[in-house]
Amino acid sequence: MPLTVLIPMVVLGIAGIALLLHLAGRSQRCVLTPVSAEMAWLRQFPGDRVAEATVARDGHAALILTDHGPGLLWAFGADTVARRLLDYDLIDRGDRLRVVFHDFTAPTVTLTLDPFERRHWLNRMQTP
Amino acid sequence: MTQRLTYPDVVQMAVPVFVALILAEFLWIAWRGRGGRYETRDALTSLIMGAGNVAVGIALGFVTWRFFMWLWQLTPLDLGHGWWVVALCFVLDDLRYYWVHRFGHRIRWVWASHVNHHSSQHYNLTTALRQTWTGTFTFMMIVRAPLILLGFHPAMVLFCGGLNLIYQFWIHTEAIGKLPRWIEAVMNTPSHHRAHHGRNPRYLDCNYAGVFIVWDRMFGTFVPELGEDRVDYGLVHNLGTFNPLRVAFHEWVGLIRDVIRPGLSLRQRLGYAFGPPGYSHDGSRDTSDRIKAQHLARHPEDAGTPGFEAPRPPAE
Repeated sequence: MPLTVLIPMVVLGIAGIALLLHLAGRSQRCVLTPVSAEMAWLRQFPGDRVAEATVARDGHAALILTDHGPGLLWAFGADTVARRLLDYDLIDRGDRLRVVFHDFTAPTVTLTLDPFERRHWLNRMQTP
Repeated sequence: MTQRLTYPDVVQMAVPVFVALILAEFLWIAWRGRGGRYETRDALTSLIMGAGNVAVGIALGFVTWRFFMWLWQLTPLDLGHGWWVVALCFVLDDLRYYWVHRFGHRIRWVWASHVNHHSSQHYNLTTALRQTWTGTFTFMMIVRAPLILLGFHPAMVLFCGGLNLIYQFWIHTEAIGKLPRWIEAVMNTPSHHRAHHGRNPRYLDCNYAGVFIVWDRMFGTFVPELGEDRVDYGLVHNLGTFNPLRVAFHEWVGLIRDVIRPGLSLRQRLGYAFGPPGYSHDGSRDTSDRIKAQHLARHPEDAGTPGFEAPRPPAE
C-alpha cells in the first residue's frame, strides 16, 4: 500500500477513534472512595495491610497508609496506578501538589488539594 | 531455487479492517452496556503504538529481510510455493511464534520489547495494536532461521507471520465469551488470550499461542480462563503514563540501569539482562514464580488449580 494512502488513513483513523471516544464520555477519570481506594491498593500490593485510605476531595487520588509505609494511589484514566512513597520530590504549586517520582514508568502525579487537605497529606506522606 | 517470490503485505492491507472492527466493537459495547471497556487516552496510546510499529517495520524491515535472504542463499533446500507449503509454513511459523512469545515472557531482554503489549489495563481491539517498536533489537528473527533453512522462502515466512498477526487481532476482545468446545480445544480464542493478558498470579506466563492453542497444551503452559478468577488486565506493576515513548522504552531503560549499576558481578548483570522479568540479585523484586508462591501462601486453597499446579519455590 502506498504511503500516500497509508499515512492519511492511519492518522484519520486514530484521530477519528479518539474523538469518538472523547465525545462518548470515555475520557472521564476514575473517582475513588475509601473502599475502592483500599481495594485498588491491594490489587497492586496484595501482601499489604491497609491502615488508612484518605481520598482527595476531587476523588482522583488517595493517600494510603500501610504496614509498609505510605503510598499514593491515583486515577489513571478509568483505572488506577499505585506507588509507594519512597523516592520522590514534592513541588507545591498553591492549589496543586506535584509529586515527582524518580520512576521512568510513573514520572509525575498532580494532586488537586485544598489548603486543609494539603497540610494533612503533607503530614501523612512523611509518616514512616 | 526460487529467488523472487512476492506476497501482499497483508498487515498493511488489514489496517482499514482494524479501524472498522474497533469502531464496531466500541459501538457494540456502548449499545449493549457490556463486553468490554474503552478509555480515550488508553486507546489513543495503543493506536499510536500500533502506528509506530508499522513505521518501524517500514524503516527497519530491511534488517530482517537481508538476514533472511542471506540464509536463503545458504540453504540448498527449496520447498517451492504450493498451497500445502504455505499451509505447512503457517503451522510451523505458529510454533515459532509460540516459542518467541514464551521467550518474550521469560527472558527480560525480549520482555523489554514485548512488555508494552501488556501495558494497558484495558482489553479491547485497540490493545491488539499496542505493539512493540523495538522487536528488531531482540534478535528474535533468529528463531525463524530454521524455517528458511528448511526451504521455506523468506517472503512466504513473512507472509505467514503477517497472517498470524492478523488472526490475533480479533481475539483481543471481551465482547466474545467462550466459543464451541472444539474451537476452544484447538484454536487460540478471546477467552484463552484474555487469560494470557491477566496480571492475576494464576494467569502469569500462560497461553503463549498465536493461532493454535495446542502448543500450550503440548508444552504445559495452558491455563483456562476461570469465571471465579476474573482476569485483571495489565502489568504486575502498572504504568503511570500514557506517553508512547515511555511505554515503548521503559523496560529497556530499567534493564540498562540495572545492568550498569555498580558493584554487581558479571553473573548478576547477565541475570538482569537475560534472567526472567522480576529477577534481582538481592531478592528485592518478584519473578512470576515468586508471585505465584506468595499468592499460594495467602490462598493455599488455590494449590493444584489451573495456573498453580507446578511446585513453586518458597514465597519468602
